[in-house]
This record gives sequence, C-alpha cells and structure tokens, in this order.
Amino acid sequence: MEHRLSLWVVAALAVTSGPAAAQEKKPLRWGTDPTGGAPYVYQDAAGTFIGFEVELADYLGQKLGRTPVMKAGDWDKLPQLLDRPADSPDAIDVVLNGYELKESLQSDYTATTPYYAYRLVLLTHKDADSLKDWKDLTPAAGPKRSVGVLNASAAYQYAKDRFADRVELAINPDVVTVIGLVRDRRLDATVQDNPAATYFLKETPALKAVGEPRQPGFYVIYTRKADTDLAAGLSDAIKDGLRDGTLRRIYQKYGLWNGDQEWLCYHQTGRWPADEDAGEEAASGEKVNPWPRMIRELLGAAGMTVFLSATSFPLAMLLGLLVALGRVYGPRWLAVPLGVYVEVLRGTPLLLQLYFVFYLLPGVIPVLTLSPLQAGIIGLAINYSAYEAENYRAGLLAIPRGQMEAALALGMTPLTAIRTVIVPQALRIVIPPVTNDFIALFKDTSVCSVILITELTRKYNELYNFNREYIAELAFVTAGLYLVMSYPMALLARWLEVRTSTKGERGA
Amino acid sequence: MIRVSNLVKDHGPARILDGVSVTFGKGQVVGIVGPSGSGKSTLLRCINGLEQFQAGEVAVGDTITLTGSPTPPPKTTLLRLRRAVGMVFQQFNLFPHMTALGNIMSGPVYALGKARAEAEAIARRLLDRVGLADRAAAKPAQLSGGQQQRVAIARALAVNPAAILFDEPTSALDPKMSAEVMRVIDDLANDEQVQTTMVIVSHDIRPLLRIADVMVVLERGQVIYSGTVNDAPPGYLE
Repeated sequence: MEHRLSLWVVAALAVTSGPAAAQEKKPLRWGTDPTGGAPYVYQDAAGTFIGFEVELADYLGQKLGRTPVMKAGDWDKLPQLLDRPADSPDAIDVVLNGYELKESLQSDYTATTPYYAYRLVLLTHKDADSLKDWKDLTPAAGPKRSVGVLNASAAYQYAKDRFADRVELAINPDVVTVIGLVRDRRLDATVQDNPAATYFLKETPALKAVGEPRQPGFYVIYTRKADTDLAAGLSDAIKDGLRDGTLRRIYQKYGLWNGDQEWLCYHQTGRWPADEDAGEEAASGEKVNPWPRMIRELLGAAGMTVFLSATSFPLAMLLGLLVALGRVYGPRWLAVPLGVYVEVLRGTPLLLQLYFVFYLLPGVIPVLTLSPLQAGIIGLAINYSAYEAENYRAGLLAIPRGQMEAALALGMTPLTAIRTVIVPQALRIVIPPVTNDFIALFKDTSVCSVILITELTRKYNELYNFNREYIAELAFVTAGLYLVMSYPMALLARWLEVRTSTKGERGA
Repeated sequence: MIRVSNLVKDHGPARILDGVSVTFGKGQVVGIVGPSGSGKSTLLRCINGLEQFQAGEVAVGDTITLTGSPTPPPKTTLLRLRRAVGMVFQQFNLFPHMTALGNIMSGPVYALGKARAEAEAIARRLLDRVGLADRAAAKPAQLSGGQQQRVAIARALAVNPAAILFDEPTSALDPKMSAEVMRVIDDLANDEQVQTTMVIVSHDIRPLLRIADVMVVLERGQVIYSGTVNDAPPGYLE
C-alpha cells in the first residue's frame, strides 16, 4: 500500500490509540502516515483516528501487552525512522502502514508475516469509455495516457516496469489528490492497492475500476533488524488473528476481506505466486547493474530541473521588475496592492502556492486548469517575483535622483528614462542577490514534485526507495548534480558583474 | 529666447523664488550670481521643468509656455520644454553604465529618436569639440571630473537645444579642471555658429565676467539686477 507522502514534519504528531488505562505498559510506537490515508489510517468527523490499521495496531498491542502509540511521518520515509536510536523521542518500533514485502527493505529491517494480501487496481473515470482494461493504457495511436501513482509504491514500480515510457506517469505523494485528478479527468487513470481502491470507489461515484486486479503482494510490518523478538511476537499475533477471525472482522468492517485473505489464512509464509503478467521479470534471475539506468534517469530529471528554472526565473524577474517599478515610480494608489502582492507571496509557503495554482484554481476558474508543467513554471515565477520585486526595488532606490533628472533634462520621457538609464543601473546593482535567488529557485524546483512533476529530488526519492542499498551514493550523485548545475550560475553572475561594470572601457 | 515672468516657487512655508522676471535672448551668455540660498539653482530647475512652481510663467520661443500651478504641468509641455532647454549639473550626472560616447548619444537616440549611426556621428563631433575624441570608449568612472563635465556639456549640446542651463558647472572641480570646463564654455560662447543661449549659475565669478553678455543678480528669491556686466552692482561680483 502506498498512500501518502505527508507534508508533516516527521513525528510531529503522536497520538495514543490505545486505552488510557494502559499507560504503564511499554509503548508500541507504530509509524504511519495518516494524511489522506483512508482506509488504512484516517480521521473520522470527530477527529479520531480510525482505519483498519489503527484497529490492527490496537489488536497487536493488546496481544503483546504494549500500548500502541501512533507516530506520524512521511510515508516513504517511515523505515528511516527505524534507523533512529530506539530511545530517541521521535523513534518508532515498527512501520505499520501498508508496506509491501520487498527485498530491498528486508535487507535492512525485519519483516513480520504478512497481515494482508493486496492487488493493484486500475481506476479511471466512469465516463472514460476508451479505457476498459489495462491494455488500453497503451493505445496504438493517440497521446500517451496519464497515470497517477504514488511515489515509492508497488503501483509505481509495476506501472514503470510494465508500461515504461508508453504511459505518462504522474507521481504524486497523496492518494486523495490523485483520485481527485482522475475524478476531474486531469489524469486518465490511477493504479492503487485494492484497500484504497475499495474505499475511494465507494466515496467517489465518478470512478470505476477496470480490468482485473493485478500484481498481488503482501503487507507486512517492519521492525529494526535486531528486534527479532518483537517481529516474532507480531508474527505470532498476526497468525493468531488470522486463525481466530480477529483480522477477518477488522477487514470486513472496512470492506477489505476477500478471497486473497482466505488464502493468506492458510499460507502465512512463502512467496505469493506470481500472476500471469509478472512472470517476465521473475524469469530473469541475473542481477543487472542499475547505475546506468539510474544515472540516465537522474540526468533526465536534472534536465527537468534546469527547464523549470530556466523558464520560471526569467518570468519571475520580469514580474518582479514590473512590481518594483510600479511601487517606486507608479501612481500612489498602486503601491498598496503591489505591497500586498509582495507580502502575501513572501509570507506564504511556495508549496501552498503550487497547490493553489494546480489543485484549487481550476475549481474556482475552470479555464485556468493548468498542466503540471505550466502550473510549476507559473507557481515558481509568481512566488519568486515577490523576492525579485524587493531586490529590484532596492536597486531602483539606490540610483541617485540626479540620474533620472539628467535623463529627463535631455528630453527623455519618464518611461524611456526608466528603461534606458535607471533599470540598467539597478539591474547591475542587484546581480548578486538575483543570482542568489536563482540558485535558491533552482533548488526549490524540488517542491514541484507535489504537483506531479518529476525533477531531480523527486527522482532521487523514487530511486532510493527501490534501491536502498545505494541510498548514500544516490544522495551524493544527486547533490553533485545540483552543485554542478548551480555553480556555473555563480560564475555567470560574476561574469555579468564584470561585464556590466561601470569601470571598464567599452564601445557605445 | 527664454522669458521668465513673475515666477513664484514655494517649498513648504518658505518662498524660494518671489516673482522672478527675466529674459534671456537668443545666443546670449547669461551669468546668474547671488549669495547662497538666493534661488539661483532653483530658478534653473524651474526653467527646465525639474521643479514645479506655483505661479508665473516660463516661455521658450513663441511656442512653449509652462505656467505655474499647484498641479503638475502637462507632460507634453514638459517634454517639449526639456527638449528645447538642456541642462548641465553640478555633479555631472553622467550615466555610469554608458561610455562617454554612449552618454552623448543617449539624447539623440532616446529623446529625439535619431538612428544610432547619425547619433554617433553627432556624438563623435561633439567629443572632438570638447577635446575628448580619444576617450569615446571610457566610462565616466575612468574620466577626471573636468573630463566628465565636458562630456556632460557635449551631451547637453547633442540634442541641439535652444538653451543650455549650467548649474554650478565647476563647483565640484579643482581650479585646473574648472578652467578646462570654463574654457569649453568660453569656446562655445565665442563660436558664431553656436546660437545656443547659455545661462550659467556659478560662484566662479572671474571667468563668468569674461564670457557673460548679461548678468542677473538674485537675492532672497528676487532679481535685484539684470543687465550688462559692466553695470552690475560690484558687491556681487567678487
């Protein structure tokens, strides 16, 4: 399962889900991402956390004689919380949040016996008549289908392996958002684990499931590698729960009990048999060096980072300059709205602004339904225009008044004087802070991953989730790419400063 | 010809110019003197439209008239006035991002809309005229104060104005550089082909006495003398 890369600060929230009476017991700190996590973990109307995994955690705590304590974190980084010292306040004891049984995780953590068997479900809009089956994701003609998946999920890996470049994968950290985009027909389809699919099919009548569910897999609980006693205890509790019908009751309550779980009752160990379309990769036992592919993918994503920066920053500069000119030279009544523009944009997070531009704006003004790339460029440009406006304003105010007077005395119009005399000097003054902002924007492009854009940081996230053995190397390569790309900006700035210096001899 | 009639300029509660009336003829060199704070520079700035004045009138030729008013004057009038009346400032105010040549070209190109080639020809001729033909590519920061002021004079001349107003053109310069600048102004004054009226506010009285045709003496915002140099009250010419 994969629901959501929350925006929450890791371990910002700790909520007990066990009875207050059990305070003296040792806690069982279970890591989860409750944001948009129905039916796994979510809040009811009263704000209480519910979900089949909340009830599972309660059951497991009861069996182990420990008090379950929910700890919130970003879904795809929950295993990293297990790496923290057990006695640190933000540490967790287990990851219990629809995590699949994966070899890459088993090498670092201990997995329990499976507690749920899932399959991948293809969801689309109920009126999408041309999408009746998985094979329709790759039509012979026409544009590529856009398919929303969640980062680091089995659905992402499956879609990537099965369809490669034949579909447009839109990677999003939030299942609710992906579902909304399919409902609004801004994405053609989404691949979800059957628990999420079951829940959202019920909640969102505009959706339908097409094709047969695919790629079965297991949800397991991960503990620290050395915590074998805890893992064994949890496994025993899961087996007991399957045997005595406790888990069945929990899953039935959420509409999640199906034939696969019956099977799970009798085969709690061993590999789940591969289905008909998972055989190709399974047949190949030879381990392929992933680095050429990973480097290729990182370079492709770096290209997107450069593209986003190179398109949004000139726009930000232009907008910022206009705002600054309006504030310094415009009519007095204009200063107030422009001041509000600057303060609102500087005072609210870029992340929220991107959300607004991409997700909320189309609801208010349908004609402003932007593609992720358009929204990314515009969102970054608008956000940074506020900072640039202040840079330029400082630059404009630094020009001596005599410069404008000299230009006017020559008979230039105020506009011409600003364009040919004032702005060129102001631009030269603000080269250092503007370059600084460009480098900052360059790195801030990573925030665009929340609106389905795969840039360098997002790609790093994707890659390390499936190649955890290379986590340090990937981080090093990614950081290196950022540095290699941003350092020339600093050189360019220095060159520009020299080029526009008022001291060198040049032609007219 | 520039005609100033009953010009009144207030700055807050203070009256800077109090009914100034004076006329500068075509091709005349006019020196304006007076104690500090008498309103000399303000008068020039009002004539050029850089300062708004409350009452009175500035007329350039028969076609351009700027009338005093509490509200800003019409933009087109200001533009026409400034294209007819150039100004040279105490602090030069050259554009630091442009070369000497670029500074002189800026008026013809950006104010008059001349082609760059034509403007460059004008600029090179004027640079030669002020003795700086070899410094065309220099940025202002690479020029001495005297050279900068000579470029500023060439820049003012480049738009071919009917008059040029010099606001303390030598007060930021040492005596040697002052002499260079005054020599350039003197050359222009003695050039029969140059029909530009030159109005010079300066504390540097001696060269002014030599080149001026007319002297105007201001005190406390009022004209107390306007006439030939020889008849000017001697107390103000020392």
